[in-house]
Amino acid sequence: MATAAEKSTKERLLRALDDLEVLSRELIEMLALSRGQKLPQPGEDTQVLELLVQRDREFQELMEEAQQQGKVHQEMQLLEKEVDKRDSDIQQLQKQLKEAEHILATAVYQAKEKLKSIDKARKGSISSEEIIKYAHRISASNAVCAPLNWVPGDPRRPYPTDLEMRSGMLGHMANLPTNGVNGHLPGDALAAGRLPDVLTPHYPWQSSDVSVGMLPSSLHGNDFGLEPPATNKENEDDVEAMSTDTSSSSSDPTERERETNHQ
Amino acid sequence: MAASQPRLEKEGDDCSLLPLVHDIIKCMDKDSQDVHQELTKLKAKIQEAREQISNMPGIDSSPSEQQQQLATLREQVRTKNQLLQKYKSMCMFDVPKAS
Repeated sequence: MATAAEKSTKERLLRALDDLEVLSRELIEMLALSRGQKLPQPGEDTQVLELLVQRDREFQELMEEAQQQGKVHQEMQLLEKEVDKRDSDIQQLQKQLKEAEHILATAVYQAKEKLKSIDKARKGSISSEEIIKYAHRISASNAVCAPLNWVPGDPRRPYPTDLEMRSGMLGHMANLPTNGVNGHLPGDALAAGRLPDVLTPHYPWQSSDVSVGMLPSSLHGNDFGLEPPATNKENEDDVEAMSTDTSSSSSDPTERERETNHQ
Repeated sequence: MAASQPRLEKEGDDCSLLPLVHDIIKCMDKDSQDVHQELTKLKAKIQEAREQISNMPGIDSSPSEQQQQLATLREQVRTKNQLLQKYKSMCMFDVPKAS
């Protein structure tokens, strides 16, 4: 019975059909022989007939069972289609989740980089007041922006001009006017304490209290004296001499005009 | 369903070989010439039944095995539906409260 249960319905049906064929043939042959011999068989034909009927009944039951299995098979096919559909849905979801993971990973990485930058900036943070003070300091000399009242022709420049350089510490160190032009400051001129007479236009950053001959002490001090706008003609000559020795690339328009007049 | 049952009974009667065997025996009793014809019919009927059995779907396994397969498929569908429902309705992002 256990072996019969394991066998498929198809196998059982075919076996039952084979048995029916054999039994029906045997019955017909027995009947044919008994008619010929005219001798009644002692119930053998009845036995075969009973077996035939029994086997036929089993065959019909198996056929009904097979039909039921056919219906179940249809339901299974529908379920398989649904399983395939769910599989494709899951794969689609998986792709979308993978894509979302990639996007999120990129966003998280970028956010972490930004946080690192913020942290780095915080470590090297500077007070805004300091920055504003520094901005005021560097822009006080009109080096970053022209003065509001600047017009073309104004001698003022955002960089130190020749006159300003000469009127500064380096210029005062060169006592000899001729050598001072090239930027070499001989030590004896320094020792003599002579200052070149230079016409210095008045600029906002220059100190208002200026005095002549303060170079030795001014070299070591923070404040140094600057000559007021000179009106001495000797100074003008010196300036003209210096300017002629220099290249004509002087940016000071006042100097250029003087050069032209002198020539 | 009521209409399908008579059809099932008819099909059950159709696949029975006893009527044909009975006809053969009757012909033999009457000594009719139709015996051979009836025998041919029986053989044809048996062959037809064999072909029908070969073409029937879903009988490659026993009923119990088929029921097991059916239960497995139903479980698969249920599980996959549950999984999809779970991931579609799940809130994956817990937004932390701003401190």
